[in-house]
Amino acid sequence: MTLFHFFNCAILTFGPHAVYYSATPLSEYDTLGTSVKAALVYLGTALVKLVCLATFLKVSENDSFDPYQELLKALIGFIDVAGLYFALTQLTHRNISQNHKFQAVGLGWAFADSVLHRLAPLWVGARGLEFTWDYILQGIEANANLVLSISLAALGSLIWLRKNKPKTLIPIIYACAAIVATMPSITSYLRRSLGWHLPKVVGFELFTSLVMALISWQLFAACQRPSS
Amino acid sequence: MAPRKAGERDMLESFYSVIALVFILVACVELCDAATVVDVYRLIQYDISGVPFGSRLAALNHHAGSLQFAPGADLSRTVVIIPVRELNMSFVKEYIVQRQPLGGLLFLLPQMFNFDNRDGMGIYHQNHGKELLRNVMVELEQLLIHANIPYPVYFAFEDSDIDAVLADINKNDAIGQPATATTGGFKLVVSAPEPKKLALPTITNIQGWLPGLKSDGDASQLPTIAIVASYDTFGAAPALSVGSDSNGSGIVALLEIARLFSLLYSNPKTRGRYNLLFGLTSGGPYNYNGTQKWLRSLDQRLRESIDYAICLNSIGSWDNELWIHVSKPPENAYIKQIFEGFSNVAEELGFKVGLKHKKINISNPRVAWEHEQFSRLRVTAATLSELFTAPELMERTGGFVDSRHFVNETAIIRSIKLVAESLARHVYGHQGKNIQIFSDKSSLAVNPSYIQLWLDLLSRTPRVAPFLSKNDPLVMALKKELEDHTAEVNVQHELLDGMFTFYDLTKARLNIYQVASVTFDLLLLLVLGSYLIVLFSFLVITTRGLDELFSLFRRPPSRKVKTA
Repeated sequence: MTLFHFFNCAILTFGPHAVYYSATPLSEYDTLGTSVKAALVYLGTALVKLVCLATFLKVSENDSFDPYQELLKALIGFIDVAGLYFALTQLTHRNISQNHKFQAVGLGWAFADSVLHRLAPLWVGARGLEFTWDYILQGIEANANLVLSISLAALGSLIWLRKNKPKTLIPIIYACAAIVATMPSITSYLRRSLGWHLPKVVGFELFTSLVMALISWQLFAACQRPSS
Repeated sequence: MAPRKAGERDMLESFYSVIALVFILVACVELCDAATVVDVYRLIQYDISGVPFGSRLAALNHHAGSLQFAPGADLSRTVVIIPVRELNMSFVKEYIVQRQPLGGLLFLLPQMFNFDNRDGMGIYHQNHGKELLRNVMVELEQLLIHANIPYPVYFAFEDSDIDAVLADINKNDAIGQPATATTGGFKLVVSAPEPKKLALPTITNIQGWLPGLKSDGDASQLPTIAIVASYDTFGAAPALSVGSDSNGSGIVALLEIARLFSLLYSNPKTRGRYNLLFGLTSGGPYNYNGTQKWLRSLDQRLRESIDYAICLNSIGSWDNELWIHVSKPPENAYIKQIFEGFSNVAEELGFKVGLKHKKINISNPRVAWEHEQFSRLRVTAATLSELFTAPELMERTGGFVDSRHFVNETAIIRSIKLVAESLARHVYGHQGKNIQIFSDKSSLAVNPSYIQLWLDLLSRTPRVAPFLSKNDPLVMALKKELEDHTAEVNVQHELLDGMFTFYDLTKARLNIYQVASVTFDLLLLLVLGSYLIVLFSFLVITTRGLDELFSLFRRPPSRKVKTA
């Protein structure tokens, strides 16, 4: 019964990635290689981030919110952006349209994040006898994270790869990218400083990720128009 | 544009479902709390001559239920949680006496019986309710001790955690959903191995010797007076059997009498011409098995020199009448002398002492009073007790009802004065004279704080003999205390006679898990499946168009559909 629960949570956590891959043209163009490369880049980035966190951050005894430390953490969080930049621009990919490239990179990125951060707690926790909503919430969080990663990748590809974008949209694109990139810090702030509980935080994440996805979609579409 | 519009509608729909999901989750969040761990105390498990009694199992892994189950429900896989406050005796009798199947029983005892936590004392001062509750618990304890129960039975104390769990279970059961594997609820888990027989339970007797003043001849020529109290207990939950009254009060009285006479005997001028023998015996609930072994091991000459023995038993909660139980007829000269000595002192102290005679039947193995073991060896002896009738086997032996709240210190002090004063008059030959040796203002006054300290200690220490090791801290403490007051202390270890067999595991930790039901997981799977399908359709429509989606179904199912 509890293995069943684990199975459910795993579906919720990792299913959307698979569905995304198979439902979109990504599968038709066989962009798995790009996703795998992105995932590897994510691994490298996570390692660098860990080293940075261990070097620059104090271990806080209490769970309080220290603005300076959080700022540092947010700055270290921007290493993600660098990793994404690397994955989008520096890696040589097979002939693949920009349109699919960012999706493949975002997908690989989000999947690697899910596996790294959620698989182990899920395996340890969700098979226990005690029932909590935590693992279901965690799965929903993984969904939100997938949407956010793809949005960020989309915005990144707009910034770095597309040359002729409308001038008026550039500040909006940058602002959106900044917001999406600081999302982890914002949720951490909500959780630790305002003391929000997990369901509320997850709801917030879900809501903002969908809003950001909608905005970046519209931006992407708007940039597409003049070129087409 | 048409597919695009459809896509937007679809997106809105998925938005709604997501929002609904979020709301459901937020609404359900109060349900989740972490696993609760509670200390529980197991019902005793023992055999008398191979006949099994008590709870025969220790491991527990069942759903929790309350008393509000539907009539005729199958409870063989349910642990019924019963708060003793609202105990339904007829239910317990029905299930235990008729041996109907149950998954287990968990009794919740009121906090006032918890010797670890004395903060909540003030709440329970309605005396009437207290007495009523006590009577119910005595009945329950006797019922449980004398039954053979094939499932685990545990006791726990009410606290906020377990009360919250119980309230939830009550709510569930009131709706009419029996808690089984498909409806979820709480699961109670005690992981314990199979209870093992205690190999060779030992009982420990402690003996203190206070010699009288030798005149010219041998000390053994002096007559001896013995003061005896049995110190161990027996109850439904061995880890809760502290026996404040039976026989904590007797131990305290014995220690205080030893202290008072040690003061008198330390000065040669006030040293009496009697030896005093103090005996703390074990095995009291088992027909005073320890007393018997102790007496048999005593030196023949010493045993014959015993003038009389006073056994102290349950002297901590009486109002104005104590009883002296004897097994020789009241016309007997020695008995008369003892009784007159006691009743004179009692009169001066302002209460009554009654004499009760009960013949002993040698062929009957039951020994109801400690003095009967003396009488069987033809030693004059009497038991001082507040009880009028002789208790049955395993009755009044300090079960979980016998807590500190029901013991009155002033009653113990009066008993001590009675015994000490009558002894002193006998020792110093002042019978019939009205002199107070242990008056309140002298240096020989009874010390109330000493009594209180010892009573508090004993009321916190479970003392079921088979579960006390040879060097148990309590035994060591009693020994040390007697060493302080007497000249010579002997500790004697004996085996408990073969009639009784005990099993270990008296304490355990109960894990209370909130579990989701299988139906919940099935429902969740359904929701997740439809979510993934909706997501798949949504993505196909937005990226490839609606026609593509339909064409997916027209073609023979390809790998892509399967992965969805």
